Amino acid sequence: MSPAYILKRIVLVGYTLLVVSLIVFAITQILPADAAVMMLGENATAEALSALRAKMGLDASIWAQYGHWLAGVLRGDFGVSMRTGQPVGPVMMEALGRSLLLALFSIVLMLVLALPLGIIAAVRRGRIADLLVSVISYIGVSLPEFVTATLVVLVLADWLQWLPATGYVPLTENPLQGLRHLVLPVLTISVILIAHVSRMVRSELVDVLHTDYVRAARLKGLPKRTVLYKHALRNALLPTITIVALDIGYLLGGVIVVEEIFALPGIGRQLIVAIQSRDLPSIQAGALIMAATYAIASFLADIAYARLDRRIQYD
Amino acid sequence: MTPILDIAGYSLDYATPAGFTRALDAVTLAVAKGEVLGLVGESGSGKTSLAWAIMRHLPESAREAGRIRLVDKELTTTSEAEIEAIRGRRIGMVFQDPSTSLNPTLPLGEQLAEVLEHHRGLTRKQAWAEGEAMLARVGLKVPAEMMRRYPHEASGGEKQRVVIATAFACQPECIIFDEPTTALDVITARQILDLFGELQAETGVASLYISHDLALVSRVANRVAVIHRGRIVEQGKVEEVFASPQDAYTQKLLAAVPRPDHRLIEAGPGPEAKVLVEVDKVSVRYGRKPFLAKLLGRENTQFTGNRDVSLSVREGEILGIVGESGSGKSTLARALTGLNPFEGEIRFAGRPIGGLKDMDRAYRRDVQIIFQHPDSSLNPRQRIREILSRPLALYGTVEQREDAKAIGELLEQVRLPAAYAERYPHQLSGGEKQRVAIARAFASRPKLVICDEITSALDVSVQASVVELLVDLQKRFGTAYLFITHDLNLVRQIAHRIAVMYRGDLVDLVDVADLSGGQVHAYTRSLIEAVPAPAAPASELPRI
Amino acid sequence: MIELLRRVLRSPQGALGLVLVGLILLVVILGPWIAPYDPESLAPLQRYKPPSALFWLGTDQYGRDILSRLLHGARATVVMAVFATALGTLAGAVIGTISAFLGGRSDEAIMRTVDAVMAIPSLLLALLIVNLLGKSSWNALLAIAIAFTPGMARVTRSVALAVRKQDYVNAAIARGESARFIVWREMLPNVVAPIIVEMTIRVAFAVMLFATLSFLGLGAQPPASEWGLMVAEARRFMHLSPWMILWPSLAVAFVAIGFNLLGDGLRDALNPRT
Repeated sequence: MSPAYILKRIVLVGYTLLVVSLIVFAITQILPADAAVMMLGENATAEALSALRAKMGLDASIWAQYGHWLAGVLRGDFGVSMRTGQPVGPVMMEALGRSLLLALFSIVLMLVLALPLGIIAAVRRGRIADLLVSVISYIGVSLPEFVTATLVVLVLADWLQWLPATGYVPLTENPLQGLRHLVLPVLTISVILIAHVSRMVRSELVDVLHTDYVRAARLKGLPKRTVLYKHALRNALLPTITIVALDIGYLLGGVIVVEEIFALPGIGRQLIVAIQSRDLPSIQAGALIMAATYAIASFLADIAYARLDRRIQYD
Repeated sequence: MTPILDIAGYSLDYATPAGFTRALDAVTLAVAKGEVLGLVGESGSGKTSLAWAIMRHLPESAREAGRIRLVDKELTTTSEAEIEAIRGRRIGMVFQDPSTSLNPTLPLGEQLAEVLEHHRGLTRKQAWAEGEAMLARVGLKVPAEMMRRYPHEASGGEKQRVVIATAFACQPECIIFDEPTTALDVITARQILDLFGELQAETGVASLYISHDLALVSRVANRVAVIHRGRIVEQGKVEEVFASPQDAYTQKLLAAVPRPDHRLIEAGPGPEAKVLVEVDKVSVRYGRKPFLAKLLGRENTQFTGNRDVSLSVREGEILGIVGESGSGKSTLARALTGLNPFEGEIRFAGRPIGGLKDMDRAYRRDVQIIFQHPDSSLNPRQRIREILSRPLALYGTVEQREDAKAIGELLEQVRLPAAYAERYPHQLSGGEKQRVAIARAFASRPKLVICDEITSALDVSVQASVVELLVDLQKRFGTAYLFITHDLNLVRQIAHRIAVMYRGDLVDLVDVADLSGGQVHAYTRSLIEAVPAPAAPASELPRI
Repeated sequence: MIELLRRVLRSPQGALGLVLVGLILLVVILGPWIAPYDPESLAPLQRYKPPSALFWLGTDQYGRDILSRLLHGARATVVMAVFATALGTLAGAVIGTISAFLGGRSDEAIMRTVDAVMAIPSLLLALLIVNLLGKSSWNALLAIAIAFTPGMARVTRSVALAVRKQDYVNAAIARGESARFIVWREMLPNVVAPIIVEMTIRVAFAVMLFATLSFLGLGAQPPASEWGLMVAEARRFMHLSPWMILWPSLAVAFVAIGFNLLGDGLRDALNPRT
């Protein structure tokens, strides 16, 4: 892997964030909400409003406002929440931490389940096991998070009373309770991921198992297991890395719904609250941080891919 | 002498939804120690099925009868576990295309050493040392480095040497060679053949050499078996089979092999004939300067397809262009048809063509191109009728456009039934599709037809009939051809003059008669020497 | 068309998908007529009824018949999703085709920007847009269409580039065909098939996204019987009468499964070489 390749990827991450910041700023700035009115209330005097606008820089041109905002973001200053009056950055970053924990658990669960399911389906292609995995994954990709959440809450929290339905306890405070509260959200998010990734692993592996080099390895007398794990899986999992990276974007969307349903104070929940209360700085910060998370994840996936597949050097 | 590999009355069927289809029918053959048996057949003849059957690599839908014996071991009834111990150790296999038969994500050395570890119980270190010695033995210059390289870092010839080293690694009693040179360039193929000859003589391994190429088999094998639709139609000593083939199919196959001494066309147009097209110092460059490379002050990575190529074709002349893959012969064809921008000048019937904008209606009508793969050159969503109606709509006469039978006539011209007009390309065989492409090219009555490797995806007998068709059409319409191919024997049969290209340069342009004996470029000479002499009736061919 | 149907029916996914989507279309067309009750008539005496012979799927907190609400809501959910997907596909196809056609640096610039937009999760982008435009079904439709556009642009571009490299296009250029003919007759029929497949699968995704927006209170508004909204409203009564939340949830999943299956079946059927 050449430094030029890494440099190019880094430049692309920067470009992505620039475009996202423009879109986010454009969308929030055209929002039909007057920040000053929101802060001072409907009955504020005209003088007070214009004074506040001047103070917030709202009377400057759109580009000047964007520049001002971007300069702040680059210094790590996302502005002050219009709802709470607190600086947005630290609040969002703390929320992001909780969401990442949720995402991390979900990805681990996904890998633990999706890889074996995909491999079994591919190896036993056309058999009952394959059909079963196929049915599970069709159902899995077709369940929106709010439906899955409903079902797991109904069964695991309501009927069986095994787990708490909502709420959040920090792991540092009470690890056991914290984990118990995370189980349902993690399950909910993983369902779609497991379904999607196991399908991808299956189809990639089926393709790889039909390649000449896998046949050649078998005909060299290597046992099935060696051929599967050493020759086939390696090549089948490479494209899966890209799929998982793409799915992280989807996962982040799912986080919004799941955190809302389970009252988990992550970045998704913060965003929903911000959107509902039209808290512009919070919306901007939340959206930008989410996009940055995704961009960095796919950057890491690209690098991992290039490390593992020596053929990729530039593009 | 007891044979190493002994196949008797072996039949193979595949279960399909429509019932059983027979792949092999009562095949009986044997290979003794030190012997090379050539198995010759066209695609779909069952030759590869036989290789899979010997290697015990059959799909679940397979039904077998008869026996396959390796020395004392009956393979058809051997358990999976035992077969795994036999594969790679007692029977080796060399595959057709080294670029697909090696795992792209493992180092070459690993793919060789794992066999030694598994079958001979060597430690990893021993296996790598032994592997290095093997690579040296198959003629690789820097074996230690080659062990560490990945497949994409080695050339086709180097990779095939690694595959051969792997097959010989455990000193097997029998090795199956499945078209081991088909995917390689002519000169590389010749070197691999030489290596095969050496190793075979040295180890005395019983070899089953599978190929579609009669000429090649005549040089490497002691005995030959001809397979057709799953049946061995003829078997015997190479000299005898080639000198007096008994079976009708063998005769047909032998007749189809291109032979340079067997000219298919009459003498070319004399010097008085008008020059139809002149290519004057044409260069083609691919790719653009990468932005980042420029920024970092790196070298221009643009790739040159053609460098100052100059040649001319006279009216009614067939000019052959030969060269290996990447030599720039197709690039020239694309430049001539406006598919690539080029520098330099092309003159057509005296008219200068400086670039795409000069290729007007008349030029497009007069210059037609036929591509290598009809699967790609015929739109899969159009019926043959629509495909053939386009050149008529653009360049046909009014009567042709209104005549409902015009399409049928075009089809009959290439000896296809008129009823094919209503079919889709995927309903036709490879040879038939290529005939449709030919019909499309000739519909506008062009003066020059560019044939870009048009027979290389076809079987020998199909190739022969397509070539015969082209020769006929040339006689009938006096069309000039630019016949691009990698098959020197074929082009010597039908070209008046031959241009040789190497890495983007035109290195030779000679009359066919001057090719052997005359003053030619060193590369041309090595090309001629590398091509296996065809299976001529002459039995005193030099043997490898 | 009949040939295509026959080919779709050949694969198990295609056959099942076709049946499911056929059923869904029937409900969309006939739903309001076959519904046993008025979906919005309140019946205070019939609240929280479990499924019974009278109310097959039970009643909700206002005593409204859930089956009737589902049958009416099919239009709101499915038709909107199909429209949103079609709109997003069209916009994406235009951008993707232009990008593939321009090639070189412009292509790279367009595609890098498309990639950048895709860094915003679809749901988030849709949320932001709905919030900008105001809560309503139509705005949700528009938001989903916009959220789908970059993805469809990518798909279209890669398909168009693959087709552009085929020799039948080269043959047409060498033959001197007009650009119009090449695009419409040679390229388009081969580009459209994979896009239809992608689009069908995306309808499933759109149904889910649309229901999610309504669930979050940003799509359809009460008293509409959009399925996502029904789930959101039923959440409060989940412990009391779980069927209220179960039926609309399953309906969304059912539609998504149908379109997913049909998409996969179409993929096999539209491959001209099988």
